[in-house]
Amino acid sequence: MAGKPGAAAPTYSPSTGHRKKRPTIQTDSEWVRPDGRGLHQCRPAFLKTGAVNSSSGSAYAEFGNTKVIVSVFGPRESKKAMMYSNAGRLNCNVSYTTFASPVRGQTPETKDLSSMLHKALEGAIILKSFPKTTVDVFALVLESGGSDLPVITSCASLALADAGIMLYDMVASVSVSCIGKNLLIDPVSEEESLQDGALMITCMPSRNEVTQMTVTGEWSTTKINEAMQLCLDACSKLGKVMRSCLKEAASAPQD
Amino acid sequence: MVGLSLGEQTFIKGGIDQDLRTDGRKRLTYRPIFVETGIIPQASGSARVKLGATDVIASVKAELGKPNPSYPDKGKVSIYVDCSPTAEPSFEGRGGEELSTELSSALERCLLGGKSGAGAGIDLSSLCIVRGKVCWDLYIDGLVVSSDGNVLDALGAAIKAALSDTAIPKVQVSANAPSDEQPEVDVSDEEFLQFDTSGVPVIVTLTKVGGHYIVDATTEEESQMSSAVSVSINRLGRICGLTKRGGAGLHPTVILDMISAAKHVSEQLMNKLDSEIAAAEACDEMES
Repeated sequence: MAGKPGAAAPTYSPSTGHRKKRPTIQTDSEWVRPDGRGLHQCRPAFLKTGAVNSSSGSAYAEFGNTKVIVSVFGPRESKKAMMYSNAGRLNCNVSYTTFASPVRGQTPETKDLSSMLHKALEGAIILKSFPKTTVDVFALVLESGGSDLPVITSCASLALADAGIMLYDMVASVSVSCIGKNLLIDPVSEEESLQDGALMITCMPSRNEVTQMTVTGEWSTTKINEAMQLCLDACSKLGKVMRSCLKEAASAPQD
Repeated sequence: MVGLSLGEQTFIKGGIDQDLRTDGRKRLTYRPIFVETGIIPQASGSARVKLGATDVIASVKAELGKPNPSYPDKGKVSIYVDCSPTAEPSFEGRGGEELSTELSSALERCLLGGKSGAGAGIDLSSLCIVRGKVCWDLYIDGLVVSSDGNVLDALGAAIKAALSDTAIPKVQVSANAPSDEQPEVDVSDEEFLQFDTSGVPVIVTLTKVGGHYIVDATTEEESQMSSAVSVSINRLGRICGLTKRGGAGLHPTVILDMISAAKHVSEQLMNKLDSEIAAAEACDEMES
């Protein structure tokens, strides 16, 4: 660990598998993924609804090392300052726990993530079904293991369905990372820190509509095409997994 | 903003369907662009861009700082956009904060590229002075003075112009400093290095109204939009960033179609912008 010059004895912090040197990337060679997945293979998803008892609806999602819990409150009365509106309102908030990242307290911009979550979800919710009221979506990232926003979005859509809010369709989200010539789906944080570009798609699989798309880094049109196809395929599979999770929860015996 | 009547809305949508917008432009035509550089003497570089009635100012300040420990040979760039209440009364206090964050993150995405630095409009390694110890911190600030739609494109153009106007002072590092202390750096007042902006992309926003896309929407046209896609394209025709805005869903083929339309428009915009920036700088040199 590099200590600051002139500081007291360097402090210890546990680090799992911290390599002394970054592995050099050769752009022509195949990238070997740290968890042994194929390049176009997503992490196995564990989804569970009803994680929080006191909320209208909630869901817990675990994709590899990324663990997110989302709870939905509402529809409930809007704050006094807001004017009357025919359509309902959506309020999203994303926060990270202080232990979510390897360095304590080092979180990405959560205001940015909250507004992106809002944009991803507002196209899917039938806002006219709850006029004058607000639905609050609170997402808490317990552990950030890469590909955070897609997991948050998918988990939030599951929580909304669990709360009984009317949706046009489930919202599934997947991101793809580009390292050299390789396209990696569902990157982990190590791959994200080395990426040359990232593409994230949030879509409604059954309606085949993209609600949000962000591209970072340098891409050619053919690559974007390829990456979009990968993401859309993965989203439709994720959509099916989410639906089966909801069906299980609905048909499980009440205890 | 005054609301639009049903007749006005139909007029706007119908006009766009027939490739004739309310101000006489075609769907893929930009408003006249006006660029002025070097307007803020205390900044390292600055520019003002007027796109019709949209007026934005971008300023670049370079300060010495310490590089991020995870990227010791790269400088730092931070982009911040301020929406001034002079543009819209609703921007006063915290009102403009949401738009500011949206614009700042869209600009960061377009200009800074992937985490490893590939595809970045600004070459961060050129900002490094002493590896791991001293680097240049570039603070890019945008100010929205007057807003009549398409603020993101105007800000992208202003930042490009401001960066081409930026002069970073030459730095002398004292060679005899011990290796683990902060080296002494001497910032020269006389010699400057011009920033290399050949890689900086332009941002083209395509707004979908009805069944067609328009470029450079005014506030009225933006109020009728279903969704918008902002694409950042560099001189080589590669896509450096993409953000989809607006709540409605879009079919994937529509997005790919919008990307190719944006590529086509970006060539003209890039050429126009380059000639405007060159003219502005020539004007600037003649005055000083």
